[in-house]
Amino acid sequence: MREKRSFGLAVRVSAFISALLLSLLCGLFYNAWKYEAERIEAEEGGWHSRIAGDFSEEDLEAIKNFANVEDAVRNEKGYGGTEPAADIYFSDKGAVLKDTPHIAELLGVPQERIVYNGALLAMYLIRAPGDTAPRLLFPLFLLITLAASFSLIVIIHNSFALSMNARIHQLGILSSVGASPGQIRIYLLWEAAVLCAGPVIAGNLLGIAGSAVLVRLTNVFPGNSVPGRHQAVFGYHPLVLALTFFATFLTVWISARLPARRLSRLTPLEAIKNVGELQLKRKKASPLLSRLFGVEGELAGNALRAQRKALRTAALSFLFSFLAFALMQCVFTLSRISTGETYFERYQDVWDIMAAVRETGIEDFKETAAVRELEGVENAIAYQKAVAKRIVAEAEMSEELRSLGGFSQASGDSAVQTDGGWLVNAPIAILDDQSFSAYCEQIGVPPRLDGAVVLNRIRDVTDPDFRHPVFLPYLKAPDAGGNAVSVLRQYGNETMTAEIPVLAYTQEVPPLREEYATLDHYELVHFLPASLWKEIKNRIGGAEEDSYLCVKAREGVTSEELTALQGEIGRLCDGKYTLEQENRIQEYEMNDRQIRGMMTVFGAFCALLAVIGIGNVFSNTLGFVHQRRREFARYMSVGMTPGEMRKLFCAEALVTAVRPVLLSLPVVIAAVWGMLRASYMEADVFLAEAPFLPILWFMLAIAGSVACAYFLAWRNVRTISLAEVLRDDSML
Amino acid sequence: MEILKCEGLRKVYGSGRGQVTALDGIDLSVSKGEFVAILGASGSGKSTLLHILGTVERPTGGRVIVSGTDLSKLDQTQAALFRRRKVGLVYQFYNLIPTLTAEKNILLPLTLDKKKPDRELFDRITGALGIADKLDALPDQLSGGEQQRVAVARALIYRPALLLADEPTGNLDQKNSKEVVDMLKLSNRGLEQTILLITHDEKVAMEAERVITIEDGRIIGDERRR
Repeated sequence: MREKRSFGLAVRVSAFISALLLSLLCGLFYNAWKYEAERIEAEEGGWHSRIAGDFSEEDLEAIKNFANVEDAVRNEKGYGGTEPAADIYFSDKGAVLKDTPHIAELLGVPQERIVYNGALLAMYLIRAPGDTAPRLLFPLFLLITLAASFSLIVIIHNSFALSMNARIHQLGILSSVGASPGQIRIYLLWEAAVLCAGPVIAGNLLGIAGSAVLVRLTNVFPGNSVPGRHQAVFGYHPLVLALTFFATFLTVWISARLPARRLSRLTPLEAIKNVGELQLKRKKASPLLSRLFGVEGELAGNALRAQRKALRTAALSFLFSFLAFALMQCVFTLSRISTGETYFERYQDVWDIMAAVRETGIEDFKETAAVRELEGVENAIAYQKAVAKRIVAEAEMSEELRSLGGFSQASGDSAVQTDGGWLVNAPIAILDDQSFSAYCEQIGVPPRLDGAVVLNRIRDVTDPDFRHPVFLPYLKAPDAGGNAVSVLRQYGNETMTAEIPVLAYTQEVPPLREEYATLDHYELVHFLPASLWKEIKNRIGGAEEDSYLCVKAREGVTSEELTALQGEIGRLCDGKYTLEQENRIQEYEMNDRQIRGMMTVFGAFCALLAVIGIGNVFSNTLGFVHQRRREFARYMSVGMTPGEMRKLFCAEALVTAVRPVLLSLPVVIAAVWGMLRASYMEADVFLAEAPFLPILWFMLAIAGSVACAYFLAWRNVRTISLAEVLRDDSML
Repeated sequence: MEILKCEGLRKVYGSGRGQVTALDGIDLSVSKGEFVAILGASGSGKSTLLHILGTVERPTGGRVIVSGTDLSKLDQTQAALFRRRKVGLVYQFYNLIPTLTAEKNILLPLTLDKKKPDRELFDRITGALGIADKLDALPDQLSGGEQQRVAVARALIYRPALLLADEPTGNLDQKNSKEVVDMLKLSNRGLEQTILLITHDEKVAMEAERVITIEDGRIIGDERRR
């Protein structure tokens, strides 16, 4: 081990990276599990089973007397949200399914009135009866861990093979003096154990620290303003440590055992004769390398082919890390552009603050005018949404709709044929009266509060390009034979109707952060003033519980000003309404932080994957003095100059670093092309923001590391004495 | 015409009590077209002499002049270029590049210099050495004798001033040994190639026209046989 330090280093690096990855994985999984359990406890409660019934204190005490019960609490609306129940907490979760039926029996409650907290129990691998949810967290983790271990074995066993091959001559001698294959195997595995003990411990500890950092980052990047999200607090359990060590041990042991088994089976003669020199089984030309680097290029190509097995780890890890990194960068860039185009840019001039006014109808929300008066507010629109139906008669359909085939392409409930025509969804946006009047002015009709404006447009359903939708008139305008009234029908009971005048058919929408007819292209959207809604709501109903306040601040508002404005709106509504506010700039920043956070995490994984390859290249090149000594001596003996040897090294380094990139690029380009097509994004839009620089940096980092490895190897190789090699009798 | 001249050539390995003198004041002169055998037992210093003549090693003292070049003044690159252009080296274990075909091995010194081979010379050499039909083979697809012939062809392709052969028959059976020695003789006569053959085998040495015997780093005999 002392003699072949470079190979030992490769084994140590491999073991360290394996331990680091697996420890990181297990640490992250444990914290994901912990977070999910905490979330369920926060949202649904930490009870394990629930028995319906109006229980007295004595009953609860009787429940608590059960050996595995930790606590029993009365819950007034625990059963079905209406009936009282007893929430039971168990100290031993394994006893929940066994003890709860006994408790119910004792209390005289039928078994059907028992409810289990299926989501929480599933976190402890307990499947509650009747729980049909998939509960994939554990199986997914086991699958990922197995896949990671398998990938690591494939990747790192070669480092062990290299290290073991370096002493094959010595093994031959051992074998020739009578060491059995078993003894050789044990010797090699012991050696691996001694080499790996330190790195495995260090890797595991660093993995734990890494998972703590990542858990912290999950709080920092998305921010804490995501509604319903609670802080993730890092935790660790001794069992997780044991599991991590077991997974690492198994991975390293299998990786070491594979080459040890092969070498232990060699005959003494095979082992002694094997001088570990790189051989080419078949001759194969390297025309490109020969053209670029001359005969040195050809020699480099041949040497790389002969080293193919030894460099497989590097080739795979560079290929996958670069591929993953480039794809990740492109996907996130596409996603950022897409979100920007379809959300932030589209609604940039529409809203700055959105407030959901919980459980308040539009007529009950009285603060719109006061919000408009706030300093820095340009406009504020209060609105509520409702659902309704409407029949579109054959005669009402526009020529354009007819040319699209009418409703023939509508699916499911989008359009149902009735005697009077097609029954379609008619979502309603109810605007406060002032905003409705402003909308009328915006579309050029005299403001009135006794009629509706119909969004008279339908997307060309024959064109799947959702990014650049083509809108066509839905109905005939009144002056072209269309109706001047619209009959809205109650959703679910279409016999209940309300006939309202139509003030205008338009393709323009009011400045609201809303999307229309995206899922159901055949929706016929109606904009109504609040006064009109007040008159018809009892007939057709269908209004959502909440109202919304869409606030547009003055031009050039800053994030701090918006936050201050949010505070003022909150103060105005304090005690009167329950508000949930969003701020456009904060949302934009949060989205940005989330993307950067995810990119950091994925990027770190890609870098870690690349580090495995870099470790392999270093272990291989640092072993050149031993492994390729004779090869270099041969080059020197025919008169290859140091400069030409350097050229050969450059060619090898270039191929090692650049080939994975060249192999990945077509895949990345094809994937990006596919994604652009699927998202109907123009190539030039993507190219303008394409992540060339980060990809280039990643590529340069890999290339730089490889160059460094080959430079160090070159320095070592220069110390080879041709005379010494020629004196070596084993030179074949 | 003198092609090789050694004056007071010394080579000492190590220092202090572990010091070993491999060559101790060698004076030697070889003329163009001569076939000289250096005969000596193992450890006599004959391989060290060859390594110094082939610029593989530097002498500790004295001067070596090959074809007008003072070898002691060459740096690493110049030594490599000298090895490539001025001397042809043939080793006991052939030293062929295992990843190149026989033809590419033979042409390697020229290819490194980006020179086009003289096809006529190439055909003559490979024809004379009997390897014209083995040119596409990789070294490990050839027998020991064939590999040594390829090594000889590679040493001759640049028409070097001096062909240095270090125990070229040491790894061959009797038949192949004879063939290789015959080939060296042939190239000596046919191409007027100066050859310095190092061997411990007296029988092989007797094939040369001049036999220099070396012992403990000193020349103890210099016999012209014809």
